[in-house]
This record gives sequence, structure tokens and C-alpha cells, in this order.
Amino acid sequence: MKKNKGWFILFVGPILLAFLVVQIIPIFIGMYYSFTDWDGIGNQANWVGLQNYIEIFTQDEGFLHAFAFTTIFAIVSVFIINIIGFGLALLVTKEMKGNNFLRGIFFMPNLIGGLILGFIWQFIFIKAFDWIGAQLGVSALQGWLSTTMTGFWGLVILMSWQLSGYMMVIYISALQGIPESLKEAAAIDGANYLQRLRHIIIPLVAPAFTVGIFLSLSNAFKLFDQNLALTNGGPYNSTQMLALNIYSTAFTYNKLGLAQAKAVIFLFTVAIITLTQLYYNKKKEVEM
Amino acid sequence: MKYKKSLVFSLITVLLFSLFLTGCGEKEVNQTDGPTAQKETQKTEKEDKKETVEVDIFQFKVEVAKALEEAAKVYEEEKGNVKINIQTVGGGDDYGAALRAKFQSRQEPDIFNVGGPQDVEDWMDTLEDLSDQPWVDLALPGMLSGATVDGKVYALPFNVEGYGFIYNKRIFKDAGIDVSQIKDFASLEKAVQELDGKIKAGDLKDKYPLLEAVFEMPAKERWVTGLHASNAALSQEFDSSIAAYEAKEIDFKYADAYKAIIDLQANYSANSETKDRLVAVDYATQVDEGLAIERVAMIQQGNWIYGGVYDIDPEVADNLDILPMPIQGGKEDCIPVGVPMHWSINTKSTPEKKEAAKDFLNWLYTSETGKDFVVNQFFFIPPFEGYEDLQPKDSLGKAVKRYSEEGKTTPWVFMGYPTAWGEDVLGVEIQKYLAEKVTWEELVEEVKTKWTESR
Repeated sequence: MKKNKGWFILFVGPILLAFLVVQIIPIFIGMYYSFTDWDGIGNQANWVGLQNYIEIFTQDEGFLHAFAFTTIFAIVSVFIINIIGFGLALLVTKEMKGNNFLRGIFFMPNLIGGLILGFIWQFIFIKAFDWIGAQLGVSALQGWLSTTMTGFWGLVILMSWQLSGYMMVIYISALQGIPESLKEAAAIDGANYLQRLRHIIIPLVAPAFTVGIFLSLSNAFKLFDQNLALTNGGPYNSTQMLALNIYSTAFTYNKLGLAQAKAVIFLFTVAIITLTQLYYNKKKEVEM
Repeated sequence: MKYKKSLVFSLITVLLFSLFLTGCGEKEVNQTDGPTAQKETQKTEKEDKKETVEVDIFQFKVEVAKALEEAAKVYEEEKGNVKINIQTVGGGDDYGAALRAKFQSRQEPDIFNVGGPQDVEDWMDTLEDLSDQPWVDLALPGMLSGATVDGKVYALPFNVEGYGFIYNKRIFKDAGIDVSQIKDFASLEKAVQELDGKIKAGDLKDKYPLLEAVFEMPAKERWVTGLHASNAALSQEFDSSIAAYEAKEIDFKYADAYKAIIDLQANYSANSETKDRLVAVDYATQVDEGLAIERVAMIQQGNWIYGGVYDIDPEVADNLDILPMPIQGGKEDCIPVGVPMHWSINTKSTPEKKEAAKDFLNWLYTSETGKDFVVNQFFFIPPFEGYEDLQPKDSLGKAVKRYSEEGKTTPWVFMGYPTAWGEDVLGVEIQKYLAEKVTWEELVEEVKTKWTESR
């Protein structure tokens, strides 16, 4: 028993320490700063109590707009990412030549970092779409990223492209855990593919859905790099998501106290939403 | 089995140690660049440490990054015991944010950049007093005003820059337009209409196959519309950045003239029918893929674009000149000229580093080699005396110098705007205006309110 405990501390210890120092302690320091009017330079932070929080809800339309935008974006993205990811997973778990190759290809977008991805897609949307639109005479393809709507869908496309592969991998492992015997039995009893899918495969893949929805939801809410690189909040700050809004409050407006308050609200919101989602999904999981 | 176990064990040990080592590595970096706490120990070790002093420069001008590194190398060879590290982060918000991050992470640079009065006030605790430096007396009148507080000079002005409507001389000549006749807004508008007519009629197609419009307007770059363009109008209302900095509210007397300039650029750009698309046009599209390849004939920009355009097409670059941005009701023949950025020295660095930093900046702007770099490699127009035999060689530098010598300049008052007002309020509102989401009257109301609020 003692020997186990020693190994436990040896392995978990450093990670726990790192987690405390890099995540937990800064959260508390940040909460302290959210009650001050710090501007990021120097060390004068005067206590102002709840003023920052009040200002967020009464004066700062930018933040509330970013909140609404991010929420809509998250809902839409989560749907699309998981449907595409699951679809791709179903596709590559069939008995097909080149399955492994395909899996690798679908996963690759996830390897590209957020900022670079944003700039590449910005080029595609602004220059490539525009050129194709001009050649084919389709004006809907021109002028992307100059309106809120195209900015929104640009972000959705980008995110789906990047994360679907990742979700696919999660769903693949879940799909492979379903015993063949169940599917065969159902097929023998006369169930067609769709019925098998709905009544057997999906319920048994439920734990993977929990993970998939959780990851895509939290990533969508926290999105920053791609937002910055693709639209930078434009046009006129209408595609500015929460993380970008907090960043600009902190570094453009030099209001770090206010930005901290926004960050605290952000933290609690994401935590509550994802924990709620986890709770409901876990309840629906089927025990084998 | 035993072999496998020991292999796994040694692998784990190596991984754990690497974790600790990276942690230690960080601490070492902190100690060498560390602030005041380390000053005492370093002072006593001064005799031993007379060798290489490291000076860290954190600057924002991407256009001169390479040339600056070369200048630093030459300086290092001359002096022998100095090593200069240069880091460049592109301008705008990014530089300010990166600088803050640098300071917060205790990797404070020795030389960094500050802009105008707002920046100087924000960073006051970290600015070294440079009033005793040799270049202070050499500065041209008014050039130190942005960095002087209570009579003390806190930063060295980079250079003097000017902007206006940069145009391609050859295109105008081939279109038969006499540029010397353009003296005010009315004549400018007439010339633009004439050129636009010729372009649409296809008269210039064979000589300039890519030419599609007179202007290109980068509404995505909110500093061009919100800071620079507005400055043309607001510099008629305030006579210095300090005056703008102290103003609690603005009249925006020349708002209509400002509107005229914005409309002129938008209406004669390639996107005149679909102005909301201008919101996605950026600097590269306007300069590199606009003026430099002769897709447009005129853009609102400054002499800093020379290097970039030269790299793409030297002939186009050498045939550029600057037209004023006429403000109806005010001065119609001036271009805004000012000091965009300053070099400042971190007062919390060690005395050796500060000495080396001061020496380097002094060398750069007063020694023969340094001056040559500043004028011929950076394409700067230095705001100091002693450059009589080093005239700017590039077309745009010459133009700016011409306007300065004729006294036809207005100051850069946007350095005194409230924090983020120019880009995040006015620039954003201009985008909305172009997309027809707000009217001009609403725009003026909004920006005036936000100005007063920020004060």
C-alpha cells in the first residue's frame, strides 16, 4: 500500500503543482484584480468593489453583444462539428481500403495552429472565393468577411474544418467498442441500417457524444486565435467573440481590472454550461 | 522482463527531470534580465562584468527591422563589448499588448517604443529621463513636444513622417491631368472624376492593364481611416497633440470636410457600388496589390510605404508623389507631418545597460555611420540638425521634406486622442458608415460622446 502511495505522489505531484501555479492561483489573483481599476502597467491597483461588474452589465454593449454572438456560434458549431465528425467516423469504420489513410487525412486539419489557420482561411475567403465568384458570376461568393453574416459563417466553417477530425477520432474509438454481435443480431431480426443506427449504435456511443459535445462546446466558447486571425472582430466589432472582447478591453483600452471582471464572468459561464451539459449527457448514457 | 522494467523506469526518470530542468531554466532567464532587486549584486560585480553588456531592444517598426539589425551589428563591431538583441512586433494594438506582456513577465526590454502624450503618461514609471543627452539640443523645433513632460525629455523621436494622397505620377500624366492645377478639394475632385472617366472608358488599358479605379480604401485598417484621415480634419481644430490630449470634448468643426474625403475615396474605389466590401480591404491589398502593381492610381498613405513598393516595382516607387488632403474651410494644401514613435529607455534597467542603450541611440542618430543608416537604409527623415548632406533619396521622403520646408504641414494630433478612440470608436464607426448601418450624423454624435466619456 505504502509503495503505491509513493508512486502516486511521484507522478501526480509535479502535475498538481504545475496546475496549482499556472491555473488555480492565477484565477484567484485575477479575481482580486477584477475588483480593482488596474491598467496593466505599474502596480497601482485601487480597490473599486463591484464597479467593474456593474459597468459590464449596464454600459458595455460590446461585451453583451459578444456574449450573444459567441453563444449562437457555439450552438451552431457544436451541431455541425459533431454531425460531421460522427458521419466521418461512420464512414471510416466500414470495411474499406484506405481507411487508415482517410482517417489520417481527416484528422490533419486539427494539427494546424489557430492563428495560421485563421490567416489561411482569410485568404481563401477574401481572395479565392472572390476570384471564383468573379469568374462564375456568383456575387454571393464575393466580399466575404465584410459583413457580419459572412464573418459568422466563415468562423463556423473554419472551426468545423479544424475540429471535425478530432471528433471523428473520438467517435471512431467509441464505434469500435460496439460488439459486432449486437449489430448482426439486429440485422438478422430485420432492422435496416437507419434503425440499427438509431437504436443500437447511437445509444452505445453516448459516452463519446458526452465527450465530443463537451470538447466542441468549450472550444467554441473559448475561441480566440482563429477569431483574431480571421476577422479580428470586424466588420465594426460585430464578429468579436468573448475572448477577443476581453483581450481588447485589457490591451487596447488598458482596462485590466474590467477585463478581469469579464474574464471571471466568462469562466463561470463556461463552467456552468459545460458542467450542465456533462450532467445531462451522463444521465443518458447506457450501461453495457 | 527486467530489461523492459528498467527501460521504462529510466524513461520516466528522464521525463521527470526534464520537467524540473525547464522550470529551472525559466528562473535563470529571469535573473539575468531581472529588475531592481538584482541591481546591488550586479553593481559589486561591475569590475568582472565589464565584458559584454546586453541591450534588449523591443521595437515596432517592421519596415526597418532588417536594417536596424544591420546597424546594430556595425555598432557591436565598433564598440566590442556590447551585444544588441532586437525583437520586432508589428505596430498598432499588437505592439502595445506585447510590450505590456513583456513587462509583466519580467523580461523588460532596455529600449522600447512609446507614441505620444498618452503613451508617455501610461509608461511614465518606466521612462528614463533623457534630457541630458547630446541629441536633445540637435532636435528641430517642436519635434520633442510629444515626449516632453514638465520640461524633461523622456524619449527620442524616431523620425518625421508625413502622409497624404500618394499618387502615381505616370498614370496622371498619361491621362492628361496636370497635377500642378490641383490646389484644393474642388480641383482634386475634378481631377479624380476625370481620371475615373478615363479609366472606365478604357483609355489607359494598354499602358496600365491592371488599372481598375482611382482609389483603394482600406477600411479594415482602422488606423488609416480613424487616426490618419481624421487627423487631417482635427489638426485644423487643435494645433498640437498636447492640445488634443487636454481637450475634454471636441467640436468636430470640420466633420463635413472629413466626410468629403472619406466619400471621395470610397466613391472612386473599385468597390464604389458595394462600399461595405471596403471593410475587408487591408493594407496589403491597398499598397502591395493596389498602388504597387498599378491597379489603382492614388491611395491615402505615408512615406513609410516606399520600401515595400520599391520591393515590388522600383519604377512605380520612384514615380510617386504626395498630394495634400484638402480640408474645405481649413487648410487645403497641407499634409499632416509628425513624429510617429519614440525610442525610450527603461529606467529600471541596470546602469550599464542604460549607458549602453543611451550610447547606441546617440550613435544611431549623431554618428556618421548611424546617420547613413537612418537616412539611406531606414528611409527615415530624422527630426534633427546635422543631416544637411544626407537628403532623403526616396521619392516619398523628398515629397515630405518639400512640404516641411515650404511650411505646408499640419501636426499629428491623433497622438493625443483618448486611448483607443481613433481606431476602436471612429474607425469602427467609419466601417459602419460605409456599410450604411449608421448615418454620418449618427457617427459624429457617437464619436463626440465617446470622446467626452473617455476624458
